[in-house]
Amino acid sequence: MKNFFILLSVLGISIPLWSEKLEAASVDKSVIRVNTTMQSYNLIQPWEKGASSTRIGLGAVLPEGKVLVTAQMVTDATYIELEKPDTAAKATAKVITVDYEANLALLEPINDNDFLSDRLPFELDTKLSPKDKVEAWQFEANGTPVTTQITVSKGEVRQSFIDTARFLQIQANGPVKYRSGSFTLPVAKNKKLAGLLISYSSKDQISNILPASIIEHFLKDTEDGKYTGFPNLGIMYSQTLDEQFRNYLKLDQEDGGVFVSKVIEGASAAAANIKSGDVILSINGKGIDSRGNYNDPVWGKLSFSHLVRGKAFTGDPMKIKILREGQKKEIDLKLIRRPAEDYLIDPYMFDRGPKFSIIGGLVFQELSVPFLKLFGNDWKSRAPIKMLMAHASPEMYEKEGRRKLVILTRTIPTPVTLGYERLSTLIVTKINDVPINDIQDVDKAASMPANGQHRIEFESYPKLIFLDAVLAERVNVALEKRIGITKRLK
Amino acid sequence: MKSPFFSFIITICACALAAAQDNNEKDSAHQANNSSRYEAVVRIENSSLNPDYRNPWNTGRDSGGNGTGWLVSENKFLTNAHVVSNSRIIYIKKVGDAKPYRARIVHIAHDCDLAMLELEDPSAFKGVTPFEIGKLPQLDTTVKVIGYPIGGERISITSGVVSRVDFLSYSHTSVDLHLTIQIDAAINPGNSGGPVIQNGKVVGVAFQGYSGNIAQNTGYMIPTPVIRRFLKDVEDGNYDHYVDLSMSDFPLINPAQRKALGLANDGIGIMVAAAEEDGSAGGILQTGDVLLAIDGRSVKSNGLINYEGEDVNMNEIVERKFAGDVIELKIWRQNKSIDAKVTLKRFLPYLIAAKKYDEKPRYVMFSGLVFQPLDRNLMAAHGIKSLQIRYHFDSYVSADIYKDRPEIIVLTSILPDSINSYFSNFTHSIVDEVNGVKVKTLKDVHNALAKDKGDYIVISLLGNGRPIVIERAKVEAAQKRIQEKYNVINDHYLGD
Repeated sequence: MKNFFILLSVLGISIPLWSEKLEAASVDKSVIRVNTTMQSYNLIQPWEKGASSTRIGLGAVLPEGKVLVTAQMVTDATYIELEKPDTAAKATAKVITVDYEANLALLEPINDNDFLSDRLPFELDTKLSPKDKVEAWQFEANGTPVTTQITVSKGEVRQSFIDTARFLQIQANGPVKYRSGSFTLPVAKNKKLAGLLISYSSKDQISNILPASIIEHFLKDTEDGKYTGFPNLGIMYSQTLDEQFRNYLKLDQEDGGVFVSKVIEGASAAAANIKSGDVILSINGKGIDSRGNYNDPVWGKLSFSHLVRGKAFTGDPMKIKILREGQKKEIDLKLIRRPAEDYLIDPYMFDRGPKFSIIGGLVFQELSVPFLKLFGNDWKSRAPIKMLMAHASPEMYEKEGRRKLVILTRTIPTPVTLGYERLSTLIVTKINDVPINDIQDVDKAASMPANGQHRIEFESYPKLIFLDAVLAERVNVALEKRIGITKRLK
Repeated sequence: MKSPFFSFIITICACALAAAQDNNEKDSAHQANNSSRYEAVVRIENSSLNPDYRNPWNTGRDSGGNGTGWLVSENKFLTNAHVVSNSRIIYIKKVGDAKPYRARIVHIAHDCDLAMLELEDPSAFKGVTPFEIGKLPQLDTTVKVIGYPIGGERISITSGVVSRVDFLSYSHTSVDLHLTIQIDAAINPGNSGGPVIQNGKVVGVAFQGYSGNIAQNTGYMIPTPVIRRFLKDVEDGNYDHYVDLSMSDFPLINPAQRKALGLANDGIGIMVAAAEEDGSAGGILQTGDVLLAIDGRSVKSNGLINYEGEDVNMNEIVERKFAGDVIELKIWRQNKSIDAKVTLKRFLPYLIAAKKYDEKPRYVMFSGLVFQPLDRNLMAAHGIKSLQIRYHFDSYVSADIYKDRPEIIVLTSILPDSINSYFSNFTHSIVDEVNGVKVKTLKDVHNALAKDKGDYIVISLLGNGRPIVIERAKVEAAQKRIQEKYNVINDHYLGD
């Protein structure tokens, strides 16, 4: 009797477990079409948006009615639609979490919780390794599943969507044909999600895959409902291959090490008092070679930045061994993240309008990298030198207390701006004697003209101009009628 | 007056014209007869040696060109500075005389593109009457341009009308602005330095034109006020250059701007945007001041003054002065009128942006690293794109960089050797310190490197936390090896 009871109880536990066990994912039930309409703001006329465009990609269905896509798929989206490949049923979706740097976004249907209930959610497989055969999953336009096998070749820390954000990416070889204009493709290994294919070169037949390990990191971060983002060390470094330099630093032959050439304020390294001139020898016991790589058990030599960005979370402790003035030292560091919006010059700007404020036709904006990129593909040589310099060395301005760099982007010819029509791309220092440290300061200062005039000071020529405050107010009212809004401060 | 702006104007010296020359002997007698009234107009042939800023230890590249000149007084010929720049040998040829006569430079003024030459043996021009210098010609009057432009060896004459009097950039240095007269006579390479004649007198020196794809029929000549100033400046045997107020101004058109500065809406006064502290007006003018009058002449809100019945740029007053001269300024500051006297002088920091001539490039070559002071020639020769350097070049004056670093020393190139094999990423950087000594001039680099102290030489670079480190013990052998390998005869040249 007793034995029987035990047997029953075992069965009693195991049966529900069995029924909860996920059915393996399949192309037509686990991959979903994502159609987005996107429209970004016009940075030259920040009160308006540019032309809209559409993008079609594929998302991976995840448990709890979520869909994973690349951030690229949904940036500046005005309308997102999920479409089932088999039935062509559609639902409107929204972005729950997006990380532009990691290039990942999580979507869910709006007002239709059951929309995805007939789908088979993916499980993640984070154990990719070289020579693995994986499949890119997609459909023909008519909904017929198409799978293409590709072979994993190597892992590398590379930039994906944002210039400055580098993450582990996996390369796979083999021809992949894009069907129905797909932009992002789920990649499966044994019917589990191994990553998202984010780019493919038809010339070399090489696919770049954002691996499941990064996706897992992203999803874990979303679990508590508050997304923090990937931590950053906040240093610039150089290699230590040069023998003379190694001798000078008193670096041991067997140690590798990277030389810290700059420490960025507000990030992890600065908080842990790591200094320019230190040599980082190891992180959490993993030695860093003189090129800046550590030995990854799966991918071999990988940039040590993966130890920070790919493996650890914001708030995690980290043991860093450094060499400072010839002495080895262990530093306990707590990883923090300096958010993109804390930078003097916004590295990217999505899903929001650029901040601006107009006074009588003078258009003030916060300088951002997207603004610099308006100067064309060769913006790094064509954009105004002072602004490029501020981008390269923000500490020049940050130490003056500036949170943002406010510039006069252009001048709309109005009766108030007579004689100033040609002024543009000037760094603003003060308005009505108020130091301008962000766009809110412009708005604040605009309410305090002295003797009926606004006094505006620039860093460079012509240094000083005045506007008639009463007339400017009237022009602003007229402009508002014409262009809708004359400021956006948030 | 200096301008930081790039000019599209091209100088018109026929450089390195190697075209086959048509020597038709049969016609020469006839030609001499016909052209004898032009015998004060000469052809100038210049063999030049253009400095090699990429390999500054080399002597340079041989080149040459020809232009025109004219007799201004006994054995004194005037031409453009750009005709005889970087000169090694100069020959003057007379109308109808095949013999070249060796000439030398007496004075050369790059800032106004004029030069004075003389013959080693003046006898060939005995009895030739020099030209007289006339006045500023009126608009819409006819002038003749005489010279030796491309298309042949013999004298050529074109004519046109005076189209415009303006204050423009002289492209020879590209930073100097002076009075200029635009004419619609054809001015071509080789015309440079030639006289522009009206009523038998010289009223200008042909010197530059727009290239054909930008504008048509726009030739420029240096007018007589500039020529006279040059002749007066060299009277004491030295050329002392133009002087400068060293300030930037902003037109006072906006009514609010005028009101805020306490000015009536009468179209008088121009705002001072900035005055260079080390310049003539430094400590006298400040941002937000209004210049009401200069030497008693009202300054209009667009920066023009009335001078000899014409509206001319207010700098015309300064243009005709010499170093040490004093001008009077009427300044409006905080609703009060102030009279100030300004002693005029040159402002050398502007020259960083000027094209330079007749200068041997300075450098220090150490362990294969080549250090050179930053200027326009260097930027052009090395095709420098580094943001850090472009910023220092661009803001040298406006951000007062010149005060902190009179010379910006650039690591321009590296002669590869085992001692510097990991240094290639450091080219086109600015040297901040050498062994802890802040670098302000090329001499500083040379002296700091020469000091024999410590095991390492540490060269820190601006904007890069990673210094260049060289083991001192390896230096001597490397220096010898590199000099031999790359044929660097002298490892430095610091100037005279």
